[in-house]
Amino acid sequence: MRIFFTIILFICFAILGTSFIYIAKYRPTPLKFIVPKGWPKPVYNLKQNPLTVEGFELGRKLFYDERLSKDSTISCGSCHQQFGAFATYDHNLSHGYNNSLTTRNAPALQNLAWQKEFMLDGGVHHLDAQPLAPITAENEMAETIENVIYKLQRDTAYQRLYKAAFGNSTINTQRTMKALSQFMLQLVSNNSKYDRVQRGEDSFNLPQKLGYEIFKQKCVSCHVEPFFTDFTYRNTGMQMDKYLNDVGRMKITSNNNDSLKFRVPSLRNVMITFPYGHDGRFFGLSNVFEHYRSKMQPIATTDTLLKNKLYLSNFQIGQLTSFLYTLTDSVFIKNPKFAPPNFSNKPYEHIH
Amino acid sequence: MKKNIVYIILQLLFALPFFGKAQNNLTLEFNHLVGNKMLVLFDSTYHNSLNEPFVVNKFKYYISNIVVYNKEKKVENNGYYLINTENSNSQTIQLKTATKNIDSIAFTIGIDSAKNAEGIQTGDLDPMNGMYWTWNSGYIFAKLEGQSDSSKAASNYFNYHIGGYKHFENAIQTIYLKVVKPQETIHKIVIDVDVLKWFNGKHSIAINKIANCVQPGNLAKQIAENYATMFSIKAVQ
Repeated sequence: MRIFFTIILFICFAILGTSFIYIAKYRPTPLKFIVPKGWPKPVYNLKQNPLTVEGFELGRKLFYDERLSKDSTISCGSCHQQFGAFATYDHNLSHGYNNSLTTRNAPALQNLAWQKEFMLDGGVHHLDAQPLAPITAENEMAETIENVIYKLQRDTAYQRLYKAAFGNSTINTQRTMKALSQFMLQLVSNNSKYDRVQRGEDSFNLPQKLGYEIFKQKCVSCHVEPFFTDFTYRNTGMQMDKYLNDVGRMKITSNNNDSLKFRVPSLRNVMITFPYGHDGRFFGLSNVFEHYRSKMQPIATTDTLLKNKLYLSNFQIGQLTSFLYTLTDSVFIKNPKFAPPNFSNKPYEHIH
Repeated sequence: MKKNIVYIILQLLFALPFFGKAQNNLTLEFNHLVGNKMLVLFDSTYHNSLNEPFVVNKFKYYISNIVVYNKEKKVENNGYYLINTENSNSQTIQLKTATKNIDSIAFTIGIDSAKNAEGIQTGDLDPMNGMYWTWNSGYIFAKLEGQSDSSKAASNYFNYHIGGYKHFENAIQTIYLKVVKPQETIHKIVIDVDVLKWFNGKHSIAINKIANCVQPGNLAKQIAENYATMFSIKAVQ
């Protein structure tokens, strides 16, 4: 009888013991999300997707994995390039599957934790849902969600990474999107010269200072600091391109008043995110200024602030340009944390 | 004696999960028809009330917010279920509820706005199931795809993808079904689902005029009002 009890006890302890081992195995390293001083609380609910080093690393690998596209040629990083603040550098439109082109200029990916809606028309309502749009679009990555998950599930490297990030090797859409969000949330740009000046660590030169004053008179009502956008949708008097026929926000709301409205883009890193405009029609900043001061054609849904266009003198344009240069964040675009895994973007660090 | 007690305790421990399970299960079974014929995907040609011939290739929809009423109370279920005619397992829903004196049930076709606005879900709500719009985030509530000689779209296809949860395009429909012959205990309710109602439930939809509805809006709302009439209780057991 005693032996019987001893066996039962032993089995109980054995079960309890193994459960502890199991729990001990999944201990991801928490990753802190740092809100820059003076910035508001993030919109993204970090409690629902707690950031971890493992989740971030998984997200980074996914972000740079071409297998997320139909023919394994395009990754998120193909069109969202770090050296261009995660926009497509020097491209009005980006290249998609089988020689296709997108219909809009790829936006820079930065400070996404504070953004409520995504796409230039605001059609996507959650950062976790955003990657599904380019993955499934015929003129982007052209793949199905089902195939993406299938490909990932068959890769043992991913099985290990998902286990490290989420506790077991289940690979599904939710976890994939959460990991991608963990990477994208960390893309915070707050180390431009402008930011250093705001923190009292640096000072503007005279043209930059004058440019900032002009910016605060002419531009700030839509390009609100610290994000340099107010995240609203506005019509800036750009005529509809007859080949793209893009009505913008109206496509989402079916409301005629939203015709040709697009989200106000952030001006952070503006100097390296050319061309400009929702369809990349403006080659450089001078074209944008020219549009605002003379070429725009206000229509009924054009923003009230632009009904009489936006007067800018040559002198003002010069000073404004100087100021906009201070929004380039070289720390952000060179941060090796955001580069593809095992990629060194410091060619000068040769070890001989 | 001691030994026996140990055995009894062990047996009870093993039996615990099974206690009280059998009596409190209500099964909803969805039975898909076109008029009075059984729905067979791909192979059978049917006719709508405008006498347009059509074949069904795909038919699936979300059932959520199921409420079971009996005389005293209502029992709510907060699950989301994708009913897919390709997958017979998906056509029954097991509910844990009192099964005495059920007089009616109600459910929603679609996904409520709160769930729509959350991030990415798993299981039946995984966007992988092909019931999610990626360019204008939100669930497709119901999908009917097929081919018809009357269709003026490519390959004679017709595609009705119905959804929309924002206030100006809300296509959510709530269905209320009364049990005609109440019994003391009901373990199963068989619900007939008639595809024909997509074309004439409330508004007349002609395939030769409307071969595609793939975004939220007024047309989607009309078709949703149509399919809201496709359910009826066939039998209770």
